[in-house]
Amino acid sequence: MAYTILELLLTLVEKICVILVFAYLVSRTTYFQEILDKKFTLKNQAFMILIFGAFSIFGTYSGIQMFDAIAHVRDLGPMIAGLIGGPVIGLGVGLIGGVHRYFLGGFTCLSCSLATVLAGVFGGLIYKARKGEFIGVPGAVAFAALMESFHMGLALLLARPFEEALILIETVSVPMIFANAAGMFFFAFVLSNLIRERETAEERDQYQAELERKRQELKIAHEIQQSFLPDAIPLLKGFELAALNLPAREVGGDFYDFIPIAEDKIGVTIADVSGKGVPAALFMALSRTVVRTNARGNPSVAEVIEAANSSISADSKSGMFVTLFYAVLNLKARTLTYVNAGHNPPALFRALSSDIIMLKARGIALGAMDEIVLEERMLQLDRGDTVVFYTDGVTEAVNEREEQFGEERLIALINECHGLTAGALVERIKSAVLAFCGGAPQFDDITVMILKAGEAEDA
Amino acid sequence: MEIEEKDAGKVKILALSGRLDAYSSNEVEKSITGLIDEGCVRIVVNLEEVEYISSSGLRVMLAALKRLRKLKGELSLACLRPYVKEVFDIAGFTQLFAIYDREAEAVDRCAAAGE
Repeated sequence: MAYTILELLLTLVEKICVILVFAYLVSRTTYFQEILDKKFTLKNQAFMILIFGAFSIFGTYSGIQMFDAIAHVRDLGPMIAGLIGGPVIGLGVGLIGGVHRYFLGGFTCLSCSLATVLAGVFGGLIYKARKGEFIGVPGAVAFAALMESFHMGLALLLARPFEEALILIETVSVPMIFANAAGMFFFAFVLSNLIRERETAEERDQYQAELERKRQELKIAHEIQQSFLPDAIPLLKGFELAALNLPAREVGGDFYDFIPIAEDKIGVTIADVSGKGVPAALFMALSRTVVRTNARGNPSVAEVIEAANSSISADSKSGMFVTLFYAVLNLKARTLTYVNAGHNPPALFRALSSDIIMLKARGIALGAMDEIVLEERMLQLDRGDTVVFYTDGVTEAVNEREEQFGEERLIALINECHGLTAGALVERIKSAVLAFCGGAPQFDDITVMILKAGEAEDA
Repeated sequence: MEIEEKDAGKVKILALSGRLDAYSSNEVEKSITGLIDEGCVRIVVNLEEVEYISSSGLRVMLAALKRLRKLKGELSLACLRPYVKEVFDIAGFTQLFAIYDREAEAVDRCAAAGE
């Protein structure tokens, strides 16, 4: 007896292996994948019907001798085909398996062949009811068990003589239900793994496409910003100028600019656009162009920026604004006339007194209101006086402990390094900020511009 | 960023907490836009629990203010921390926004604005 049970188990494992290999191979074919994608063609439907039809016939012949009865898995092919491909494919497969069984004859030939056809149809109806979504492993196994019970009932109803049918069903029903449920379990298991794999692959592809789009956007924003920064820094009589822009990964729309006003006058500006990315870069391009157009050849200061504000404000949708510091440097009189439109006040180091003065003036960021009035101030620059213009990317740079670089550190640095040339001081501030940040990512653009008064040159 | 919505008569209060930076600003913008789309034109934003605001945060507040004033409504700010107040101040936005020390005061003034 022990020998026969072992033998039975071995045969069972063999059959299961056949089902697993079949499931694996069939589910990797292009036709099968197309069916899963609901891209039905004549070709892939014919393929499904023929291959699962053959599998159904295999089920008839490969019956396992179990407890003096034969358990076959003929209905498995139509059930699976119906669950995956819908009623048409299910019916086609059922017909192949069923008609083949019918011609094998025997007193149960009608009920057996009818049950096989119906197995395909019911599978297809479940497919319809679930709107084409696979029912999952437990559902498929339950369906197989119910279907085989129905198959047994059909035999009792149709097969004659009834007594013989009853004896057959009594011996064969448990092995049949078990064999089909087990076969369905393995097939459904392979299939749901495949479906999950495909879903993850799809999600991954979408995520990567999204990432790529974002990367392109960052690149575009960066290119817009860089193309609107000055190519070179002008050489001035009696003054030094230096500037630096370190864009963040997602650019913040900082800019600086030098605008020719007259032979002995130059406009300098530093600005920071609200927001990030492409919108900020575009708004920066707009603001820089508007300011430049208004300022070119026009020596007034407040008037120029107030007019620029009207144009920028008219174009400012969704609350975009730009904080901007604008000054006209008179090289002959050595004066700086400025307005501050909501920008971080630049720091002026006075060489004579070693004081630091923050260049504040009453104003508001451009784009916030249609009509603005800016306070215009003027100051004299003497030898060694140094103006440090910057954006909040400098003072709000954070380190790994989330502390900000802050105005105090910047002022201390200026106090310490005011003897450097403008170019060297820019580099010194940059390295101090970067050293402070350590490994913390740079969230905002860092922009610094230095104006240093040198020896007065008598013209 | 946590956003808590409260009713106070015809005024809606949005209490924000966390950092109002480029990333959380979108969330806040969505909440405010949602309120305005529902027909609410008087909004008080309580910034008591906001420790940091970036230019993106200012942009969202400005966009809301502009939209509400166009609808004859009002956006008032309440309980700004010194750092946040300074950011508004530097940009010149303290001239533009109605800012109050207490939420109740902001709600009363916001309800009465334009009437």
